[in-house]
Amino acid sequence: MTDTVERKSLTREDLLDVYRTMRTIREFEERVHAEFATGDIPGFVHLYAGEEASAAGVCSNLDDRDTIASTHRGHGHCIARGVDVAEMMAEIYGRKTGSCHGKGGSMHIADLSKGMLGANGIVGGGPPLICGTALAAKIKGTGGVSVAFFGDGGSNQGTTLESMNLASVWNLPAIFVAENNGYAETTSSTWSVASDNIADRAAGFGMPGVIVDGFDFFAAHEAAREAIARAREGGGPTLIEMKFTRYFGHFEGDQQTYRADEVARARAEFDCLKRFADRVTETGELSRADLDAVDAEVATLIDAAVADAKAAPLPTEADLLTDVYVRY
Amino acid sequence: MGDAVVGVVANPLSGRDIRRLVTQASVFPTAEKANMIQRMLTAFGAVGVHRVLLSTDLGGISAAVFRAIGRRRGADPRWPEVEFLDGQPIRQTAQDTLDAVRRMVTAGARVIVCLGGDGTARVAASAAGDVPLLALSTGTNNVFPAVREATVAGLAAGLIATGAVPADGVTDRAKLLEVRVGGRVETALVDVATSTERHVGARAVWDPATVTELFCAFAEPDAIGLSAIAGQVRPVARHDPHGVILRLAPDAARQVLAPIAPGLVVPVGVRSIERLEAGPVYHVDARAGVIAVDGERELAFGPGERPAVRLRADGPRCVDVAAVLAASARLGLLERVRH
Repeated sequence: MTDTVERKSLTREDLLDVYRTMRTIREFEERVHAEFATGDIPGFVHLYAGEEASAAGVCSNLDDRDTIASTHRGHGHCIARGVDVAEMMAEIYGRKTGSCHGKGGSMHIADLSKGMLGANGIVGGGPPLICGTALAAKIKGTGGVSVAFFGDGGSNQGTTLESMNLASVWNLPAIFVAENNGYAETTSSTWSVASDNIADRAAGFGMPGVIVDGFDFFAAHEAAREAIARAREGGGPTLIEMKFTRYFGHFEGDQQTYRADEVARARAEFDCLKRFADRVTETGELSRADLDAVDAEVATLIDAAVADAKAAPLPTEADLLTDVYVRY
Repeated sequence: MGDAVVGVVANPLSGRDIRRLVTQASVFPTAEKANMIQRMLTAFGAVGVHRVLLSTDLGGISAAVFRAIGRRRGADPRWPEVEFLDGQPIRQTAQDTLDAVRRMVTAGARVIVCLGGDGTARVAASAAGDVPLLALSTGTNNVFPAVREATVAGLAAGLIATGAVPADGVTDRAKLLEVRVGGRVETALVDVATSTERHVGARAVWDPATVTELFCAFAEPDAIGLSAIAGQVRPVARHDPHGVILRLAPDAARQVLAPIAPGLVVPVGVRSIERLEAGPVYHVDARAGVIAVDGERELAFGPGERPAVRLRADGPRCVDVAAVLAASARLGLLERVRH
């Protein structure tokens, strides 16, 4: 164990921020679920509800030096990294005011100013990106770390496995967060992941691998805190496997004939927001009134984001030729 | 169908927690847990076990054993019939171990083998009742479960299950620590610690500065984990009727270097040492924090809930593998006359 990076305990303000993040993700996703059903949202959306503790647990340990790469299920990571919620909603609606001027949509929300390298339509697309940013941070000596989130499906992609190998060989400040929600689209991870636990693969790449209860913010936060501290100190990469259940289908419209009652049970027994609220009120760190105030604030924020998105203009034909090339 | 029945419960999540990250603790792959069970099946078959009740899991252990049974050929050593304890929801929590052990007890298992670390053994012990328990190490801190070849453990369990070696002479009743916080009760087989952490979080305890009190059922000088602290300053044997209480403070004058987790040897300040008698209730001094049992944070408590710890003599019946095989040698149980 190393002690050169200070491990601060979470203050009241930290806990409020964490709750606000998780509640914002939940409210955002529940609302997109409802709005998608009306037919107003173009393209596909993949919702993150149920997995909030992972994004919040990891990103609450990051700062301005750090970068993350996300997945097709990326709204939660964006919100936890501080991407503007109104711009995200506008992006999902394909509006000019969106994070990517309405040309990316749900699966391509990116905000480099927030160290958010992008949601990603390519399964296993994020891990190679963070090897690049982690290498940059290492060469420049910024102390920054990079985190790739990917799913159980992404864990089987060659890009992910090659990236873990490279991160270990180059001893990069890279964290690989496998969000195992049990299904790659409709295929059970108990069938498709040959090692059964994704974390077990870490040993083959010479890095530590740990399994975390992904419904538990405090467990996710602690594991990420230690992995990130280790990476900042030059200790190299870590693989963290979060185990949980996604509350909605693979995409909106998925009939979910491949799974039974696990969502209802997860919502009733394991829900990360409920567990977090119970914990912090039992310890007296926050009150129910504190949490209710956040709930109200978040509801207003999401209402406004949806109203603004619906009222915002669509991109024009001329916008087709902007942002095609980037000058370095 | 005969009644020489063995239960085998394996925890798919043992050996996976944050200690792999913070202290380079060992990794125990699923494939090896499944291999251990297969080696035990061979041993069970060799000594005449009729039936094995095997826990099911989503971690791939029972699935690997199931596939192995399907691949067996006629020439392979005989395995007993394996009954997979499925049909109940798998929660991927300690509840799965509890459910499996309860079903084994109800179904008449004569011995239960448990694969996991201290945490798994603790949970299995709480449900095993009077059925002898043989805990094999596939976890992190392994004070209670033995690091032992599964084939040999399988022979010992099999000899008890068939009645060839009577359980009474080769099992020892372990001690047990019971901790109560309000209406919640947990048990520990090795140690109970109070931690100043506020949340259960990642469960493991690896920062000694957070531990203020330590109650040990036994403390061996060669232990790994929190009990190793007491093991160096006031050893207590497994068969001693008492335990030991340590009060810890980072700035105490007396410092002991202890392996409090695999890969972690740190100085720990010992403020006081007290004998822990079996029977009476001891209240912890801490007003708020988390109770850790056998090295894992389990119960958070606040002001007004003063946790109470009690050392009990009626813990699980543990199989002494060496004693079983010594008895087998005395009785010539594994000898055969070639015709």
